Amino acid sequence: MSEILLTTTVGSFGKPDYLQKARNANARGKLSDAELLDLEKKATEEWIRRQEEIDLDILVDGEMYRGDMVAYFAEKLEGFKIGGLVRSYGNRYYHKPVIASKVSRPKPMTVDWFNYTQSLTDRPVKGMLTGPYTMLDWSYNEAYPTRRDAALALAEVVRQEAEDLDRAGAKYIQIDEPAIHARPEELAIAIEAMGIVTQNLKAKTISHICYGDFAAIYPQVLKLPVDQLDLAMHNYEYRWLELFDKDPFTKELAIGVVDVHSHRLETVDEAAEGIRKGLKYVTADKLLPHPDCGLKTRTVEESLDKCRVVVEAAKKVRAEVGRTAVA
Amino acid sequence: MKTTVVGAYPKISDEHQDLRRALHKLDRGDLDEAGIAGVLDDTTAWAIGEIEAAGVDVINDGQIRWDDLLAPFARAWRNTERGPLERFYDNNTYFRQPVISGPIETDGQTLVADYKKAKALAKRELKAAIAGPLTFATLTAEDKHYKDLEARTFAAADALASELRGLAAAGATLVDVEEPALSAHPELVDLARAAFERLAKAGVSLALYPYFFPNPNLVQSLANFPVAQVGLDVRSREHSADAIDRLGALKQIVVLGVVDARNTRVESAREIGELVDAALKKVGADRLWLSTTTGTEYLPHDVAIKKLNALTDAARVTGGVR
Repeated sequence: MSEILLTTTVGSFGKPDYLQKARNANARGKLSDAELLDLEKKATEEWIRRQEEIDLDILVDGEMYRGDMVAYFAEKLEGFKIGGLVRSYGNRYYHKPVIASKVSRPKPMTVDWFNYTQSLTDRPVKGMLTGPYTMLDWSYNEAYPTRRDAALALAEVVRQEAEDLDRAGAKYIQIDEPAIHARPEELAIAIEAMGIVTQNLKAKTISHICYGDFAAIYPQVLKLPVDQLDLAMHNYEYRWLELFDKDPFTKELAIGVVDVHSHRLETVDEAAEGIRKGLKYVTADKLLPHPDCGLKTRTVEESLDKCRVVVEAAKKVRAEVGRTAVA
Repeated sequence: MKTTVVGAYPKISDEHQDLRRALHKLDRGDLDEAGIAGVLDDTTAWAIGEIEAAGVDVINDGQIRWDDLLAPFARAWRNTERGPLERFYDNNTYFRQPVISGPIETDGQTLVADYKKAKALAKRELKAAIAGPLTFATLTAEDKHYKDLEARTFAAADALASELRGLAAAGATLVDVEEPALSAHPELVDLARAAFERLAKAGVSLALYPYFFPNPNLVQSLANFPVAQVGLDVRSREHSADAIDRLGALKQIVVLGVVDARNTRVESAREIGELVDAALKKVGADRLWLSTTTGTEYLPHDVAIKKLNALTDAARVTGGVR
């Protein structure tokens, strides 16, 4: 494992055809949950092997068992009900959850998957959670009188899950908040809620933020109590970096260097240039190249190609920085 | 007291997923352009039928062909194209940001064919819709032609005025202008008003909808906009209803957004009635319409139907004996 410019991904990968078909069959009652679970494990192991072969440093389970980053948790928490389909963009739809009553966590939601995935590899696997503010913002709230009330209640159940992952040995716990800039005036709520989640964790904490007006929450977002911010940058032509001229960035930065919503494959030189831009603001030991966002909208082959570009670009820049080391 | 809808209607329901399946086929090359056009027509007819069945008085076509608010224009206008994906304000819904490579030009026919088709289907009064010029200009990702936001906003306004003339010639008598940028950027109200002066030259009645970020302080400044109607969200946030106290400043028809189209909890007739009663103290019943706060596409289809029914039920009660 390299010690600088560690490469990683945001969380999701494309599902193989056999798994997509199996999920559809399961939804129609044509395939049992146990049979689906076997296929989800198979696909997860395939992705672990691919990530190792590509030589990514910090791995993810690829979320083969999840459809949507909020609905997955909403289905396992008490207090939610799953609403009908709502369009997210183009021809993509998701079941937007409804907070119908007070939320609680009957049992761990991701720990078994973390344990299984980490057992497959010696490389670190990230524990992957959705943050309380995003859980709120991407759900309909019928239960709590205010959005802050709902966010803090969700923070409590996410905290329980994060602490279970911590106890299970996760070295990295990522608590995604892609909705954090939805309403900049509510940033304080998101920060307060994240404080509840991370207060007792030993693991390195990360939060992924993407697709929104990052400038509207910077530099205040530096108060988000996590060690690393994981940002979509390539899609924005790296313009968020200019914000760091005035208010220096104070955390580790996971920097997106390839677009995840385009079929076009970036060149290694393009991605390397993105990494070099990041190095102007963050030292190499605190800069982690990765794709802008999860790769679930790409095919397996496209996901692999994009990740290869990230890894090759990181190797190229490591050589320039001149400190390639093997742990 | 008329009821109306604004913005997009859900494109699919749990039972009616023809469009979703057809678009997948189109992606795979298993359906041609004529095939998808037929499905889009059928889905539009379905949406219009449902909105009418809910009892809405002044309907739209559900914007079934619109990928997002800006898509029809960014796709059709010369020297504009659909660029990077971005979140649409504070929704978990995404749109393609326009990219401008030269002077915006249009033949003004972008929406005409769709409007005519909808007109042939509609049994009730049909209105059209365009994106607001300030929204188009502020959500543009890249502009290689215009020197600043003002120039871009005015160029978008002139192109949209052409579209309004096309719609008017096709028989449209009322056109919604969906302008969330105005509530997102109230500091740009003067620029927006100047842009609306350009829209007004098209000579068709306009309804201004600055939805998503209800701001009671904005109400008074809307009085001078050259529009026939102003649509205001008085429901979705904690202080939204404060706008009602300011309605006396408006001379236009007020379209009161009394049903929250971004939350699933369905309003009771009593809740809606209280908002209407308060508004009637400021605006005569002849100048008050009722609507959803924004497009119902932000809701699952089954809830969208319930919301429209809540709207029309409340209008019946408040308009008659309670």
